[in-house]
Amino acid sequence: MTMTTAHAHTLDIINLNIALPRGQRLLRNVSLQLEPGEVRALVGESGAGKSMIGKAVLGILPHRIKRTEGEILLEGAHLNAMTPATRRSTVAKMSALIPQDPLTALNPVRKIGPQITDPLTRIHGWSHQRALARARELLDRVHIRAPDRVMHSYPHELSGGMRQRILIAAAFAPSPRLIVADEPTTALDVTVQKQILRLIRELQRETGTAVLFVTHDMGVVAKISQKVTVLFAGRVIEDAATRTVFENPAHPYTQALIAATPTPNVSAEPFQPVPAALITELHRETLAADALYAQRGRR
Amino acid sequence: MNQMTHPTPPALFSIRDLRLSFADRAHKPLFGPAPRVEVLKGLSLDIPEGRITGIVGESGSGKSTFGRILVRLLAPESGQVLFDGKDIGALDEAALRPLRRDLQMIFQDPMSSLNPRHRVWRIIAQPMKRYGRGGDRAAAITALEKVGLSAQFADRYPHELSGGQRQRVGIARAIALEPRFILADEIVSGLDVSSQAQVLSLLADLARDMGLTLAFISHDLSVIRHLCDTVVVLHHGEIVDQGPVEDVFEHPQSAITKSLLSAIPRPEMDESWWDDMSEPA
Repeated sequence: MTMTTAHAHTLDIINLNIALPRGQRLLRNVSLQLEPGEVRALVGESGAGKSMIGKAVLGILPHRIKRTEGEILLEGAHLNAMTPATRRSTVAKMSALIPQDPLTALNPVRKIGPQITDPLTRIHGWSHQRALARARELLDRVHIRAPDRVMHSYPHELSGGMRQRILIAAAFAPSPRLIVADEPTTALDVTVQKQILRLIRELQRETGTAVLFVTHDMGVVAKISQKVTVLFAGRVIEDAATRTVFENPAHPYTQALIAATPTPNVSAEPFQPVPAALITELHRETLAADALYAQRGRR
Repeated sequence: MNQMTHPTPPALFSIRDLRLSFADRAHKPLFGPAPRVEVLKGLSLDIPEGRITGIVGESGSGKSTFGRILVRLLAPESGQVLFDGKDIGALDEAALRPLRRDLQMIFQDPMSSLNPRHRVWRIIAQPMKRYGRGGDRAAAITALEKVGLSAQFADRYPHELSGGQRQRVGIARAIALEPRFILADEIVSGLDVSSQAQVLSLLADLARDMGLTLAFISHDLSVIRHLCDTVVVLHHGEIVDQGPVEDVFEHPQSAITKSLLSAIPRPEMDESWWDDMSEPA
């Protein structure tokens, strides 16, 4: 077992590379840190690898996709140095996932209650009474009016917004060190989205949980995060404080993503597609980096 | 976009007191009929010819149901749906047939609305043939080029295209029939921001150049703002706001529109966004 060092980052990803069996790279030398109590947004378009980073941390990559290089440290502990069983229990104890689609994440044939309390008793070793009390407390926290009735309901009896609030309650219940939120509001209406973002923000501040927030929406990034990692084709394009990214973005791709985000402002310019020339240039850089990487691998 | 050449263009659709309800089978008592859920509660509005009308609302507001009545995939329970002066609400399928070409639709999910076994040109040409408007390969390529896809896409299959390209094929299929009305239901909600911006600017250009009459359904007010000339805000099957886009966005009348607008997270640093607590509990 790897020792936990003092003053460790909650999450430290160092030079992470993951690839398909034939060597096609999905993440390219990704490094990022997450401090306790911090929200870091992972932003990019589809295929940028943002969800892949969260999956690599939680150890839920599809089985054909493998880590080829790099380290992931959770509170200073090297996940890759552990046996699969140790790694699974470490990750389960220290982290949680808020998924995009609350309907597929909940078991349709089980009542809500045990779906929240089971991880608390089985993984965290709590008594049933303690788990039940905590589930009630968290359901109340996410503004579910009749916690006991909801705990006796099945997922299909609840609305999409309610199911997402239940998953937030379940994720925060054991006060994990890290939560990976994978596009948790993409399927929701704007008013419900705001409500969900508010809950994540409040609970995250109360518990001091660090959040890796995966999204494609620069508007959501601006509201929820303190740090941002901008990704393109599995590469980190920009890594900065959220304020810097919006007030003084360093990379033209970051600027283009902001300009492409629709706003309802009457006076605003119509939003602009990301220029094709910029995309071509980014792909050219990616190919060059891959060639260099392959060359280094042969040596 | 948003140009007002005629102050009041004639209405292509005039809808008066449109109502629809569904049987709620989940709450059906053991004996007796299931209770009815009112989906549309008496809508009255005009859809002006040659303009883009935005229809916006949250899930469950009835916007898609309303759209499906416009293209007569659903029949209204009561009320008038005048299309070019003719009430199409009560027409049966045979009477609707001559109108079908004029009422086209672009779907939300191109992967399920484009035949995966057909090449792109055939997807576009088949309905043209069906309605006796040519329908050879060359005509399909002409339509493809109008949506910014070159002839080399004609022989591809839908799965070989990106999401944005697929949605362009859906647009090409609709405009190739030269319909008098196109319904676009959430056609950019599945796309990345950059392809979203591309598809929207294409649609705006086509609408201007071809004088299309378009109803654009979306839950996203920002998209409506930049594409549409007029907007209708639906909430629980009722119209809570309607008018020119600038008016509705600058001076929203209803609390619903105000909360929809204020809940949009804008890509800028603004902590005061959190202070507005007007979202529903």
